[in-house]
Amino acid sequence: MKNLLGTVSLVSAMTLTSTAALAEVKVGAIFDLTGGLNIYGIQQDNALDLAIASVNAAGGVNGEEVVVVGYDAQSELSKYTQFAQTAVLRDGIAAMFAGLTSSSREAIRPIFREANIPYFYSSLYEGGACDKQTFVTGSSASQQLSVLMEWAVENYGPRIYIMAPDYNFGTISGHWVHEYAKQLGAEVVGEDYLALSVTDYAPTIQKIQASNPDLVVALPVGAAQTGFLEQFAAAGLKDSIGVVSTNYGSGNQQVVVSPQAGEGLVSAMGYFPSVESDANAEFLAAWEEAYGTDTPVVAGAVDVWNAVHLWAAAANKAGTTDADEVIAALESGLTFEAPNGTVTLEPGSHHLRQDIYIARGDANNGFEIIATFEDSEPTYENEVCNLIDNPDAAEHFTPEG
Amino acid sequence: MELDFLATVLLSSLSSASILLIATLGLAVVYGLMGVINLAHGEFLMVGAYSALTATQIGLPYPLAIPFAVAMTMLIGATVELLIIRKLYGRIFDTMLATWGLGMVFNQAAVLIFGTVSPGIGMPQWNFQIGDYSLAFYPIAMIFVAAVMLAFVYFLMTHTVYGMKARASIQEPQMAQAIGIDSSRVNTMTFAIGCGLAGFAGAILLPIIPATPSMGLFFAVKGFLTVVVAGPVALTGSAITALGLGGGASVTASFMTSVVGDVFFFLMTALLLWLYPLGISANWRRKL
Repeated sequence: MKNLLGTVSLVSAMTLTSTAALAEVKVGAIFDLTGGLNIYGIQQDNALDLAIASVNAAGGVNGEEVVVVGYDAQSELSKYTQFAQTAVLRDGIAAMFAGLTSSSREAIRPIFREANIPYFYSSLYEGGACDKQTFVTGSSASQQLSVLMEWAVENYGPRIYIMAPDYNFGTISGHWVHEYAKQLGAEVVGEDYLALSVTDYAPTIQKIQASNPDLVVALPVGAAQTGFLEQFAAAGLKDSIGVVSTNYGSGNQQVVVSPQAGEGLVSAMGYFPSVESDANAEFLAAWEEAYGTDTPVVAGAVDVWNAVHLWAAAANKAGTTDADEVIAALESGLTFEAPNGTVTLEPGSHHLRQDIYIARGDANNGFEIIATFEDSEPTYENEVCNLIDNPDAAEHFTPEG
Repeated sequence: MELDFLATVLLSSLSSASILLIATLGLAVVYGLMGVINLAHGEFLMVGAYSALTATQIGLPYPLAIPFAVAMTMLIGATVELLIIRKLYGRIFDTMLATWGLGMVFNQAAVLIFGTVSPGIGMPQWNFQIGDYSLAFYPIAMIFVAAVMLAFVYFLMTHTVYGMKARASIQEPQMAQAIGIDSSRVNTMTFAIGCGLAGFAGAILLPIIPATPSMGLFFAVKGFLTVVVAGPVALTGSAITALGLGGGASVTASFMTSVVGDVFFFLMTALLLWLYPLGISANWRRKL
């Protein structure tokens, strides 16, 4: 179905180009509409279409209609680079919205740098990307963990166990947990980094019990790791050991996990559908009209929505879609009334200052927000990355050691 | 090392091995009795999981959802055998390619039918205590399920007319045909049974591994390697291999890290295939 929509929008984009009656601006989109990552990709793409429609309804960009040239990366890295090249060389896009995994971002980031096209990456991630053309609208690991760890240690106690996926998102997040634990006088009593394909968590659960923690920082990625939460609950540990996460819910895991296992799990992210604000109510109404109420909206979708609106605001402010002027406008301290509260694009780090919400899973596969940390800074990125002073920087910073 | 820790490691490693065996048995039967490697096996498992999930959603109790899943996957399996596998007998690589493609089709069909996230059914919240350690009951119960499954397949192959025909068709195909065994019908049945076993696995493991369109991939690699290491004696070979590789990996993961557990699995696989290129059971006198 999404394939079809993608094709339709591609075809309509082509017909519009050939008739060329209206002035129009093209933007590119590459998301995983098929394959294992589509639990995130389909919603990101839906959010993009919705955001573009809302921008066009408000008069487009500098009076021109915005048209999407969309691609399905099929959860494959090679497709990202292939389509990014196509979008740059053939489609003549003014901006690109793409990517879910950090590896996909790192694969295509140089392409947009080379072509000097603003590139928006919209997903929570481990943090540290720093590039003149790259703008990150998701929250970073340090942004989420700084507030979450303080809350967790205060509410559960100082003994921490880390369960995380064995690649940079997991290991860098693990680093931040160690860092904040030290600052808070807490202690990491054990950690386990797991391959994404592990389905049997008995060994991890034994090790958790052997090290007797007060809380587990669980960062399950993908469908298999969601099983950890189920097995943890079934072993009867959920009542004595707290579970906190920075990504539980980012792929609607709270729907997959049974209510018995999901109730009481704590997650800190930049968006939950239960955020109470007018902007969110409007956004959700538009979303439900377009896509129904079957699956709750994930943070990544809102991150895309924000990215599109920030780009449109910058282009309108600049009065052109010329890359240098749009990037300058994006670096002017833009703010946007987003579904997840007011967000501000940090001029130096190209990351978003945004609210971080701590939410607890309820008995109906949903979330109840228990704490809001307004206007949280992407501390680490602001610290290491300043693209105003150092516009030539092109790095992916990782914390030392 | 305390005794209670050792006991829990032993039990849960046995349960890991059993889960691997449950997920692999259907693949082993099809490979052992037809010489066909069904790379869509993981997707049949996924179909079983979704069938059971759908059955529980329309109000069927879970124990009845399992036979429903088996029936669904057997039906689909038989259809696939008639439409695809039959045309590719003896062309092992073509079969692998065709079933691999079929798996992709199933995977995407599941996305279109069920969407990308479906609610899980949850695990029974029963657990028991060994010393300081608490264990979930359901995964441990899989040891018993694997034993019953193994006994069932053994009985089916040795004590039923179908089983004798199936073994005859693979061991002496020409002789079997000469005495009037319709080997193509037997093969359809064998493939359907293999798929039904996958469906059973998906359904019985549903509380542990939630149904997602791509869940088949989790078992594809390890299941495939287990069957290859096991070699021609499908049943006993797979049981022993699953116990050694799956159990060993789990023990390693308990004492070290999960990554080392995986390294153990793949290194042992490489070592065993180097020592026994045709599988560990290549020179056994047993046939099943």
